[in-house]
Amino acid sequence: MRRSSLIPFKAGGGFLMALIVAAMAFLACFALGGALGASKLANAWTEGLSGAATVRIGAEDGAPEQQLGIVLDILKSSEGVIDAVPLTTDEVAALLKPWFGATPELADLPAPAIVAVTIDPLNEPDTAIIQARLDGAAAGAVYDDHGEWRGRAASAAHAVRSVAIGALIVCAFAIASVVILTVRTGLSAHKENIATLRLAGAEDRYVAGLYQSRYFWLGLLGGVLGCLLAFAAMIGFDAMPTVSRALPALELPTYWWLVFPGVILFVVILCILAARFTVLGTLRRGA
Amino acid sequence: MILFENVGFRYGRGPDILQGLNFEIPDGEFTFITGASGAGKSSLLRLLYLDDLPTAGKISLFERDVATLTRDEIAWFRRRIGVVFQDFRLLDHLTAAENVALPLKVAGAREAAYRDNVAEMLHWVGLGEQMNVRPPHLSGGEKQRVAIARAVVASPDIILADEPTGSVDPEMAERIMQLFLEMNRLGKTIVFATHDLEMVNRSKQPRIDLSTKTTNNGMAA
Repeated sequence: MRRSSLIPFKAGGGFLMALIVAAMAFLACFALGGALGASKLANAWTEGLSGAATVRIGAEDGAPEQQLGIVLDILKSSEGVIDAVPLTTDEVAALLKPWFGATPELADLPAPAIVAVTIDPLNEPDTAIIQARLDGAAAGAVYDDHGEWRGRAASAAHAVRSVAIGALIVCAFAIASVVILTVRTGLSAHKENIATLRLAGAEDRYVAGLYQSRYFWLGLLGGVLGCLLAFAAMIGFDAMPTVSRALPALELPTYWWLVFPGVILFVVILCILAARFTVLGTLRRGA
Repeated sequence: MILFENVGFRYGRGPDILQGLNFEIPDGEFTFITGASGAGKSSLLRLLYLDDLPTAGKISLFERDVATLTRDEIAWFRRRIGVVFQDFRLLDHLTAAENVALPLKVAGAREAAYRDNVAEMLHWVGLGEQMNVRPPHLSGGEKQRVAIARAVVASPDIILADEPTGSVDPEMAERIMQLFLEMNRLGKTIVFATHDLEMVNRSKQPRIDLSTKTTNNGMAA
């Protein structure tokens, strides 16, 4: 006689609960996957920009070729600047191509001169000092260390992580709620059986153990089902050409698969704890 | 030893079911609890198997005031008390053998260790052939005997029986009575609630009559 058979749990009711847990596990996987992907994307952006800066010399500021030489001199003599290379007309055209298309008239447009600056990430130059020197010698030249863009990327990644944590909390709350509800219903339905067990000498924690065992399996079933669906959905999502074209950099880190065992473990522990404390609390209140 | 000191009991704000009850049942004694219907026999047993606490007075079991027991201690005490309930309280989804094994199971015993003991117990009450039958398919008398086997299987110190012969024919009643007397000879304390005065009068065991609050051994109930 298995211990769990002491209470006649009905298979159908448990399966419905497992489906709800599966739905929550599915959402939790996507929340975590999204957070990991967004974090990696933000890191890639900020890391890619951390060793680089640009100087833009506006076309309307007159004689950009003359200013270009002055700007290069200032940059190369600045502390923390490793190299400064002006982009060719073709390279500038390539940058503008996504907005204007491959039009032959592009060369006639008053495009700004751009200088790509390689900076020492461990000894970054002082933006204010460089900009002040540029203002004094080459009016209209603007030094951009991408700080604003990096800040926005970090904020966006932080926001996505916060949303993911919020989604996880909502999922946990939903799973705990459905466990509490079904355990209470079960305790009420099996009141006579539980009273008999207790009169036979069963402690509260023994009865709680019967429910923990039951909800361990239901949590495991729901968690595995939800994670399998999420895995299939993520693989399918990644294989969609429209997605890979729109979000080429949205890749999950190499350890992304840990999301699935992590979510299953989380769901199982949550189910066990919710069942245990609901049983103990209900029995102590005299139910 | 079971000791009742000025014990009173009532359900909620209802009338007193038991009032000013004083008696002592020494270890190893067989005691009948008698009284008219509604005299409080079942309520007295409920107090003894710790399903309720007295609303007045003090009950001592195994040298402890039952009012001071924690929930865990109540569970441990119940393992030392076997109960035959009037309504049997068998679990319908379990077989007769699984029902009998229940006190051993909740006490943490392994099935391999108690399987033979349970089979022997069911043979002892004459249900050796019905070990794998579930209670809905047993007669009232058979259920009664499963309940008796369950009450004694863990070898408790005290056995409480609430009208254990109430749903069986006279021949079976006599057989059940002999089972309890045999357990008493093995040193168990037996508290046997019944309204069958004929059976009580045939016996020489002490009795506590809740209707008259008297005992036949000179103690004031």
